[in-house]
Amino acid sequence: MANNKNNSALAGLFQTFFGKHWPVWVGGVTLGLLNILLFAIKSPWGASGGLNSWGENFYSLFGSAQVVPVFKSNYGMLVLLIMLGSFVGALFSKEFALRVPPKGEMVKGVIGGLLMAVGATVGIGCSIGSFFSGVPALSGGAIIFTIGMFAGVLISLKYLLWEMEHRPNWSSGKSYTYLAAQPDKGRWQVITGWIMVVLIAVVAYLYAGSDPVMSWFIIIAGLMGMICQRSRFCIVKSFRDPFMSGESQGSVGVIAGLLVSLIGFTAIKYFGIGAIGEGGLRAREMTWVFPHFWSRAIIGGFIFGLGMTVAGGCAVGTLWRMGEGQVKLWFAGIAFILMSPISTKFIVPAVDNILPQSARFKNFLPDYIGYDGAFFLVLGILLLWYVFVKWNERTGKFSAF
Amino acid sequence: MTLDCKGLSCPMPIMKVAKAMRDLSSGEVLEMLGTDPGTKSDMPSWCEKNGNELLSVEDLDGGVTRMLIKKG
Repeated sequence: MANNKNNSALAGLFQTFFGKHWPVWVGGVTLGLLNILLFAIKSPWGASGGLNSWGENFYSLFGSAQVVPVFKSNYGMLVLLIMLGSFVGALFSKEFALRVPPKGEMVKGVIGGLLMAVGATVGIGCSIGSFFSGVPALSGGAIIFTIGMFAGVLISLKYLLWEMEHRPNWSSGKSYTYLAAQPDKGRWQVITGWIMVVLIAVVAYLYAGSDPVMSWFIIIAGLMGMICQRSRFCIVKSFRDPFMSGESQGSVGVIAGLLVSLIGFTAIKYFGIGAIGEGGLRAREMTWVFPHFWSRAIIGGFIFGLGMTVAGGCAVGTLWRMGEGQVKLWFAGIAFILMSPISTKFIVPAVDNILPQSARFKNFLPDYIGYDGAFFLVLGILLLWYVFVKWNERTGKFSAF
Repeated sequence: MTLDCKGLSCPMPIMKVAKAMRDLSSGEVLEMLGTDPGTKSDMPSWCEKNGNELLSVEDLDGGVTRMLIKKG
């Protein structure tokens, strides 16, 4: 009897997490907290560096160039685990299926992935490193990157709306779905999900002796992937939807995450938590403050914004959608991985040749306006954005439909 | 009228539905077939915001979700 009760209590708990989608703000808050934990252990959340590591490792198979093996790269493993965490989330909620879109969508995935890779390498960072983590890290460059990204999203959205009107065939045609769970069936997905959880736990445990930071990265990234999938946490959505459907939930979710991270990151930097040795305090302050203020940030952000909107997923949005089986995003992710080292080698040096050093330096806001000034500046931007998306949702002033 | 959004990911299903709804008159019903899990959370709020009514959401075989949307 008691056993049955326990079983149903546990089943109820499982349903709470995997029965339906979570509000985006729940995802934002929990991701913000885990991001603080990543920073406390080592450094904040990022995605483009890890994707680049996968690309470098791929190209190293054909050449002699020495690269850090991806399984020894914290961020290389982080992006893999985001995808696997999302895979588990999708399996537990029986939402996993291989969804093959019409051809035109796959082409858009590739174009979006290529643009994101160029944007992330030129801009030094992506929607996560130079936005979701960079802004709470009180980086002036991250704010500039965000402005560029915002402009890119608006232009790319204009294109999507044009395509919808004038080239509707590009997003139509034959599509296929494989491995979907049938209604009221599909226990195999839940079982596979548990097998994946055990595998991830074993891998995390194997690292524990030699590289405990990696163990923590694996566990946290797995949780992050699952949270993203369950709450459909999406940076593209947060920028795009106010100007498309007028919805604000996506934006509010991201704002909530930024607010949580802002408080945690400011404390870590202010007190130098985790600082090691001489100069450690300054190194802690400058973590996730990249030499891209302002020129590389604005150009890179803009190109990244164009790409993520065409692809329908930013760096992390692409990863978790890959995990739930969306083939369009497989094309975006692979294009990103393959393009990133090429862009680093050929496009970035060309850009640096043109731009003066004085237009691509590290800007840590508290150096100019103090910790209090920087904190309230970011807080003010978040509040303004919140008021705007809520007002726009009510009035529809800026939404396309 | 039936709109096939199978295989499409966010935001294409919502964009296609919004476009298709423009050609319907008040009271007419659009049937949408899709496979993106995101549409299940996006469609109710989009319908509510635009004065349309989401009559039903049904999971069919093969991972397809069928939604009936009545134009308001």
